[in-house]
Amino acid sequence: MRSRGSLRRRSAITGYALLAPSLFGVVCFLLLPVLVVLWLSFQSWDLIGPISFVGLDNYRSVLSDGVFGNSLVVTLIFVLLVVPIQTLIGLGAATLLTRGLPGSAWFRTVYVLPWICAPLALGVVWKWILAPTDGALNTLLGHRVEWLSDPALALPAVAAVVIWTNVGYVTLFFMAGLLNIPGQILEAARIDGAGAVKVFWHIKLPLLRPTMFFVLVTTVISAFQVFDQVYALTQGGPARSTDVVAARIYYEAFDAFDLGRAAVMAVVLLVILVVITLAQQLYFRRRVTYEMD
Amino acid sequence: MAKRSTVIAAGAAAVLLAIIGAVAALNPSDSDGPGEAARVTVRLWDEPVAAAYEKSFAAFEKDNPDIQVDVEIVPWDDYFEKLRTDVAGDGAPDVFWVDGGSYPAYADAGALLNITTALPADAQADWSAAVTAQYTRNAVLWGVPQLADPGIAVYYNADLLGDAGLTPDDVSALTWDPAGQDDTLIAVLQKLTKDYNGNTADSADFDGSNLSQYGYNAGYDLQAMVLNYLASNGAQFQDASNQYAFASDAGIASFQYLIDLMNKWQVAPSAADTNSNGDFSREQFLQGKMALFQSGVYNLANVSAGANFDWGVVQLPSGPVGAISNVDGIAAAGNAASAHPAETQRVLEWLGSAAGSEFIGASGAASPAVLAAQPAYAEYWAAEKVDISPFYDVLAAGTAPAPRGAGWPAAENAMRPLLDEVFLGRTPAGQGVRAAQEAANATLTE
Amino acid sequence: MKWTRFSATAAVYLVLLLGALFTLGPFLLSILTAFKTREQFAQQSALTWPDPFTLENFALLLNGPAQFGRAILITVLAAVLILVGQLICSILAAYAFARVDFPGRQVLFWVYLSTLMIPPVVLVVPLYLMMTEVGLRNSFWSLVLPFAFASPYAIFLLREYFRGIPQELIDAARLDGANTLDVLVEIVVPLSRPIIATLTLITIVSHWNSFMWPLVVTTGTEWRVVTVATASLQSQFNGNWTLVMAATTLALVPLLVLFLMFQRSFVRSITIAGSA
Repeated sequence: MRSRGSLRRRSAITGYALLAPSLFGVVCFLLLPVLVVLWLSFQSWDLIGPISFVGLDNYRSVLSDGVFGNSLVVTLIFVLLVVPIQTLIGLGAATLLTRGLPGSAWFRTVYVLPWICAPLALGVVWKWILAPTDGALNTLLGHRVEWLSDPALALPAVAAVVIWTNVGYVTLFFMAGLLNIPGQILEAARIDGAGAVKVFWHIKLPLLRPTMFFVLVTTVISAFQVFDQVYALTQGGPARSTDVVAARIYYEAFDAFDLGRAAVMAVVLLVILVVITLAQQLYFRRRVTYEMD
Repeated sequence: MAKRSTVIAAGAAAVLLAIIGAVAALNPSDSDGPGEAARVTVRLWDEPVAAAYEKSFAAFEKDNPDIQVDVEIVPWDDYFEKLRTDVAGDGAPDVFWVDGGSYPAYADAGALLNITTALPADAQADWSAAVTAQYTRNAVLWGVPQLADPGIAVYYNADLLGDAGLTPDDVSALTWDPAGQDDTLIAVLQKLTKDYNGNTADSADFDGSNLSQYGYNAGYDLQAMVLNYLASNGAQFQDASNQYAFASDAGIASFQYLIDLMNKWQVAPSAADTNSNGDFSREQFLQGKMALFQSGVYNLANVSAGANFDWGVVQLPSGPVGAISNVDGIAAAGNAASAHPAETQRVLEWLGSAAGSEFIGASGAASPAVLAAQPAYAEYWAAEKVDISPFYDVLAAGTAPAPRGAGWPAAENAMRPLLDEVFLGRTPAGQGVRAAQEAANATLTE
Repeated sequence: MKWTRFSATAAVYLVLLLGALFTLGPFLLSILTAFKTREQFAQQSALTWPDPFTLENFALLLNGPAQFGRAILITVLAAVLILVGQLICSILAAYAFARVDFPGRQVLFWVYLSTLMIPPVVLVVPLYLMMTEVGLRNSFWSLVLPFAFASPYAIFLLREYFRGIPQELIDAARLDGANTLDVLVEIVVPLSRPIIATLTLITIVSHWNSFMWPLVVTTGTEWRVVTVATASLQSQFNGNWTLVMAATTLALVPLLVLFLMFQRSFVRSITIAGSA
């Protein structure tokens, strides 16, 4: 019989051996880059010259020149456009698809198609559909609208494309949530004489709260990072009206070749998203305990 | 226990090996085997010139069997983004084209071959002085001059002129004046612009929001429009120390004039079209929907191949201080980190020789910067019965330089969105142009 | 009463059909346009059927300098390699977190979990710098390495699943003399097929679709993936929409086919993967 100590040591060795490859990946490709980007935010680098320490200069320049401020505002408006609208449409579609009508599974499959496809490729397709002179939409409308080159329309247009992509995904979760509601509760409400609208507002919606919360949190976080569709549709233009944070980071680094500024923006984005995630975790925890009381 | 783990491990290893093998097979072999020719890669963005280069290098390889030259095209839209990351990652080609705004950063970083010392002095004697000066920084030449664009001029569609009762002579000496007194340009453009009901821009029923025919390509095009309108009004783009200086009173007046052509007189496509698509106006001209198209010889081959109507070239409109055009040159730079320095130098020397550049001129692709190759270019277009003298005659009145200095990419990135707003008419010209200048200069002091 | 119910159902179907049309429309337009000639595209409405039906756009993409065939091959190879690497590393790690007792397990698991908060956009610039420094920029390996070792997300999902496997099964195998790897391969992995299938689909989809990292780390046609090839085609042939739509069709259709083949598990996978 081996001693407890040696058993424990064996188990520790096994544990770390199993962990080694993934730990290598996590350290080298997730943790180290965060340190590198933090370090880079204090350096000046144009990709080909030497890297030199500049202290807080990048932070000063990013936070003072309004370009990044514009990107934050654009991103916020984008999130506020995309998330509520796609949630409402998704909720509506899920309600219609959970009425037990034949063919519901087919519609569900169709709706989720855009979500599994490459956002970049779909963005390019939409770029043509929305093109001013030979685009499909203007041909259909018989009327010229500058969907992507009018600064007032470009951000809503990009948001519409992203909503179109995401609706099916949101629908799936609401469908799962709605199907999880026990049939007896709904039956009881109906026997009490509640109409469909009342059942939806007073029974289904409150019971969907966890699903709703989950959908809102994940879609807010992903909307904050939108890049592919913006790259395909507007490249941040016209006049920076669609210059979301992820696109700004990319253009700052690989178009203006100011890696230090790009790093600062990346650090700020990281902080914002970590704060959002932690805040929702705290809120969610509280909420859950409250609801269990 | 039947060792399923062994089977799975073997399977995974097999997949891994198969993929590694496939990748190795896909790896382009850039190592030169013994006895084989050294490979020198030349990168540029211009397809007509690339075709001329192919012929040129075929001749070169015949005399230099130890060198194989590969021509690589990277589209203009991605060219400088990709070049920067390639140079940064030691993946740059041996020879690559640069323009006046881009080369200083590379020269300062030590990425370019010093041409002054790398090539024999007599090989450098026959190059355009203007282009040589443009690519000289700190008394060192950083690229072999390849293209010497003469001035900007105006392509006209003779059929559309005829429809409006005009002849080429009527548009060959137009004047523009921000104060309005000596302006003949606007009235002509109004005759040449039509809305969807066929009303011209000088008629009372004209609906400028819906054009079927454009008079002109006023818009944000630095080389074809902005630099010339600045210079022809006595304004500078950059001052002697490379600070941006276009927001002078005269400069703002020039911007205002261009913006009015689009937004007030409505004789040009809207900025919504031209801001985001640099080729929009050329496409409209080639489709017969634009009467006057101001551009350089860089579009000569495109227009010649694409226009199925009568066309010609006249001098660009002259402003208060005359018709002053910007001039620009393109150079081929050598990669200082090339794996084949000796062979790269021989390729560069060939590109800078009359024999090597002859092909560029003789195909009509572009105006060569090697002086001895220039007559071939004139002969080509003479044989095509195109009078290209307006591109050259304008040079006599003096010229304006192209953007220069190490910080151009960052400066352009900073000012471009602000100028887009100005051209869209969303910010007043004075305020927007001053803000653009400030933003551009802020990138220099960083 | 009967009539109102009937008309309500009809209205529901009408809304659902409109939604389906709106969802499928862009796909159909893209595919239709890809089979048209440039002449037809210039002269006729976008909604016409291809006439004549042409494969020329695809031929141009696959045989021309765009090298689309190569891009597809590289995308597939990279996705498969990432998948194999990620599955192996994640299964090992998840098993360690689920069933092996070792000091620091809790802390390390929290470290892994916390990396889920790092947005991929933030990693692009530093990873580019690191890849350049080690000389791997613009190579096949730069596409694969950052993702091939582990996905904390996959580890999290697998760990949850592994914890549901009865310990008695593992103990019984142990008594038969099986070592940890045997237990993994003989018991844990076979019992976890559904979750592994889920991860397989999600990984393949996300790496077939990934764009920003390949755009940054590769240049030229050598190691270009499908999305990057599509994007550069669209900027190079601005306005040549028949060719560009052939490219988007090539980028979209393989996944559509995969999706329709594994429809059921796909839909389930998305819900499982999402609600983790």
